[in-house]
Amino acid sequence: MSAPVVKMAGRCFYQLYKLSNSAGRLASGKTGIRQFSGAVVQNAAEPWRLLGAACVQRLAVISVDQRPLEAKFSELMNQMELERSLMSDHELSLLDDKERLRRRQAVDYDSDEEEEADRDQDIVLTQDLEDAWEQRLKGFATQPRARGVVDARLERADRCLAEPLLLLTQQEVGPERLWLLPQTPWEAGETLKTTAQRALSATPGLDLQTVFLGNAPCGLYKYRMPRSVRDREGLTGVKVFFFKAVVSGPLPPPAPSSLWVRQSELKDYLKPSYLEKIRPFLLNL
Amino acid sequence: MSLIVSRCMGRMLCRQTLDVPRIFVEEHCLTRQSPWSNTVLTLHTSAPLRAEPKKKKKVDPKREHVARERLKKRLKKMEKVPPELIPIEDFITPTKCLDEARGRSEPRLPFEESERRALLLKEWSRFKHAQHTAEMEAINLALDAQREALEELKIESEELYKAAIKPDPLVFPFSHEGPCYTPPKPKYDAPDGKYHDITKVYTQ
Repeated sequence: MSAPVVKMAGRCFYQLYKLSNSAGRLASGKTGIRQFSGAVVQNAAEPWRLLGAACVQRLAVISVDQRPLEAKFSELMNQMELERSLMSDHELSLLDDKERLRRRQAVDYDSDEEEEADRDQDIVLTQDLEDAWEQRLKGFATQPRARGVVDARLERADRCLAEPLLLLTQQEVGPERLWLLPQTPWEAGETLKTTAQRALSATPGLDLQTVFLGNAPCGLYKYRMPRSVRDREGLTGVKVFFFKAVVSGPLPPPAPSSLWVRQSELKDYLKPSYLEKIRPFLLNL
Repeated sequence: MSLIVSRCMGRMLCRQTLDVPRIFVEEHCLTRQSPWSNTVLTLHTSAPLRAEPKKKKKVDPKREHVARERLKKRLKKMEKVPPELIPIEDFITPTKCLDEARGRSEPRLPFEESERRALLLKEWSRFKHAQHTAEMEAINLALDAQREALEELKIESEELYKAAIKPDPLVFPFSHEGPCYTPPKPKYDAPDGKYHDITKVYTQ
């Protein structure tokens, strides 16, 4: 009777001992440990700094120019549709007008033979209607699609309207200033998405309305600290979690230290390893 | 006792001969066809004895009412016509389209033209297939990146992970204006179009 009780007691004590050990480790932990509403970040002995970053895209405003193959195919489709269709009322009236004119201009034209209604009609040919419509269309001025001058300025959000653009900001990471997606360290008591939103609002001079697409991160970039930093601060490395957002509302005016960059231009601004991690979730959308 | 018996007999008589008018009952007419006639009439029941207070047959008005309602129901059923089905406009070919005069003359395509068309269609299907495969691959890569991020987050902190996988109620309804051919004109006031609405409205 007493033996199993002793065993159980022993087991309980062992568990308590383990718990107290880990608690002791926590108590002696260094700066990298964070608490989130009572929960404990794992790997307390080898902490990683968490950062939230916002991947903000201004989506395309106008359609892309057609490739030659696409242009040829759309032309073929229109041709085939026309061949297989019936004539519309407009086309029939065009034919009627032609027939009537031909009859009038015939040598043996007898106006009495013409039907009453047709004779008294004022000739408003369908062709005239078409010309009037075309004149009206020419009178309407549209905005130009290609604007070379604007496209060259990288800080403008309304450049390259046919392609989606990504927002980059210049930030200090360690000793150097780099072009990155806006990011900021995570603080206790907030979710990573809130961190990303804070990172965006902390960008100086940027007045933007965005919609964040969901609560989950879309990508991750992590790197280990060099040994000296690791030993000095007890920080193993940094994990940056990216959250996708889309610009809604009016386009913002240019802001200092922020760029709107196309996918093809990203390699000029971002480090290769960073770009490699970002590229999958950009999706060119 | 005999009075009661005579009364009972009288009642039974009355019930049997409901269709016959009362006047015959009082006169003891021998032309009655009731089976009780020979035996009961010899009882010498007089009119005052046979007179009973007129029973207000409560069943009668109710029966009349019920009969009237039944007739009404039958009438209604006969009048009820199944509702006419609303025709589906899209399934009815308008007679304008069946007009022979609207047909175009069949163009005789030369061999080169038909070849060009066939080759272009094949090239297009190859292009579209490649585009689709590329899209699927891109989507899979993006999903992998997200999965990796969520796994790392789970290792870091359970609470943050749970907050991340919670659905966001503010995202939907999500709307975004798609790309047009030309950029929008700043401060452009589109004119209202004139139209006559001729859609047919059916009622049942």
